[in-house]
Amino acid sequence: MDKKKIEKLIKISYKNIDKKKVEEIGSLLNKADLKKYIERLKSAESENNLIISSPIDNQYEKRFQKLFPNRKIVFIQDPSLILGVKIIDNDKIYDFTLKNSFEKIINYIEQNYD
Amino acid sequence: MINDSKIIGNLEKLLMTYGQDVETKNIGTVIKNSDGVIVASGLSNAMIGEKISFKDGNAGPVLNLDEENVSILPLGDTTNIREGDIVQSTGETFSIKVSEELLGRVINPLGDSLDNKAKIKKGKDMPLEKIAAGVVDREPVNFPLKTGIKAIDSMFPIGRGQRELIIGDRQTGKTAIAIDTIINQKFNKKPVICIYVAIGQKRSTIAQVVDRLNSEGAMSYSIVVSASASDSAAFQYLAPYAGAAIAEYFLEKGKDVLVVYDDLTKHAWAYRQISLVLRRPAGREAYPGDVFYLHSRLLERSVKLNKENGGGSITALPIIETQANDISAYIPTNVISITDGQIYLQMDLFNAGIKPAINVGQSVSRVGSAAQTPTIKSVSGKLKLELAQFNSLAAFAQFGSELDAATQKQLDRGKRLTEILKQPQYSPLTENLEALSIYAVTSGLMDDIPIDSFQRFEQDMHEFAKKKYPKVLEALSGGEKPTEQTLKQISKLVQEFKKRFE
Repeated sequence: MDKKKIEKLIKISYKNIDKKKVEEIGSLLNKADLKKYIERLKSAESENNLIISSPIDNQYEKRFQKLFPNRKIVFIQDPSLILGVKIIDNDKIYDFTLKNSFEKIINYIEQNYD
Repeated sequence: MINDSKIIGNLEKLLMTYGQDVETKNIGTVIKNSDGVIVASGLSNAMIGEKISFKDGNAGPVLNLDEENVSILPLGDTTNIREGDIVQSTGETFSIKVSEELLGRVINPLGDSLDNKAKIKKGKDMPLEKIAAGVVDREPVNFPLKTGIKAIDSMFPIGRGQRELIIGDRQTGKTAIAIDTIINQKFNKKPVICIYVAIGQKRSTIAQVVDRLNSEGAMSYSIVVSASASDSAAFQYLAPYAGAAIAEYFLEKGKDVLVVYDDLTKHAWAYRQISLVLRRPAGREAYPGDVFYLHSRLLERSVKLNKENGGGSITALPIIETQANDISAYIPTNVISITDGQIYLQMDLFNAGIKPAINVGQSVSRVGSAAQTPTIKSVSGKLKLELAQFNSLAAFAQFGSELDAATQKQLDRGKRLTEILKQPQYSPLTENLEALSIYAVTSGLMDDIPIDSFQRFEQDMHEFAKKKYPKVLEALSGGEKPTEQTLKQISKLVQEFKKRFE
């Protein structure tokens, strides 16, 4: 199966998918194509999802949904971040957390002082 | 000792900026780990050559940018990198921390110490890859870099900022020439910082070099960059660039630097290995298509800067190992065409006891003569021509036919010239002693000395001159053309010594 067909299948998969359809697709594809399909599906999933990590509960979800109307917002509560928010957009991470700042300070000290 | 107030001040500066800058990271997921190459998806903002870090602390440069993934070559062990691991781009290329602290140290291409001495932490970050200085910033080579080897300083002089290739088979004395040149720099009034880059050599060999430099007192102005045969191909590939980056730090300070790349054949092998595992198309001798650029971009970083840019220089002595004297192989021809001359060492000459085993006919220095001092130039003007004539006559003389007096004289002179150019390892000579020896032969003053006692005569004559004729040596060390009076005094010196010599 070529790249275009895989892309088409991914688009269809995202419109209306359930357990039955997945099993049907799985039985129709050969091993190599199934591998390609899964890889591309994973990548499409991460392109479609916007992961937001924050130490507090999800009180800003609606605001994020407004900012990113076409994306599925996945919220993760992570107390270890201390303060701030971390946004994972596919292969980019925007880090506004206090934990990250502390890590930068520790790194700075380790590199500059004995 | 840590200064508390300084630390707090720096931390306060960092905290002040908290919240103002958003840190953006670009991540990827490992999809394949094979042959030491990591293929990762994501990393959509990655640049070629960018440093990618792994979660176990390992890091490597991006070497291939494909449509959907990138290939990374980690410098450390790859056995713990698994499919699905997250990798992160750093937004920076590989660099090395350089400061004066590096002098006397043995380091790897990333600047980590290998000599069990204190960790090197401070220094200016110098990028391993850098575009060489432009034409406007440069000036012609005009100052000599003395090797202390009579044959080279007289016939193939090297100037500061030049790239002179040392080429020859294994065990012909290539490294010996480079090491002698480093040792000779201690006699310089204007100091030269020496960087010895060992690529793909046995660790025992590197240890021997370091030991010799230490015992000769040369480590105080030298740095050894080591990527041994047991290190990864990525380390061997980066090592010469690390040497060039260190040299550029001192160049920026207006200093003169000598870099020895020992050797670029193994560097090309390492790059070939990397290219093959990256599945790049193989060309001649399985080297990739850009193997010329690999060496040209490295050697182009050798430079003589003009005064407006500090006047510093980087002289390069790349070494190439040939197989069965074949200098027309792929890598040798490439590097010959890049450099400003070559010193060709031959096994036959080495076995005949001519050390250094320099083939006079096939060696050349294309820019160095402009930097040769008038002292050496005036005494060695005819040397190369006479030796070339001797070599062609010697071939005819082998037929055993009777020779006329003039030819016989030329042959005798040639033998003496060959003999005077012999020099033991680790004993570089100062310019005045070189000039004294060469003049003594070219002027015919040593024509009556038996050839088998030539070397002893030369050594004892040097000692005699140092004791009895220090003024003559002083006159020869100024760099100017020797006056008639000085030449007369040299004749007197040699004649007087001949009477004492048994």
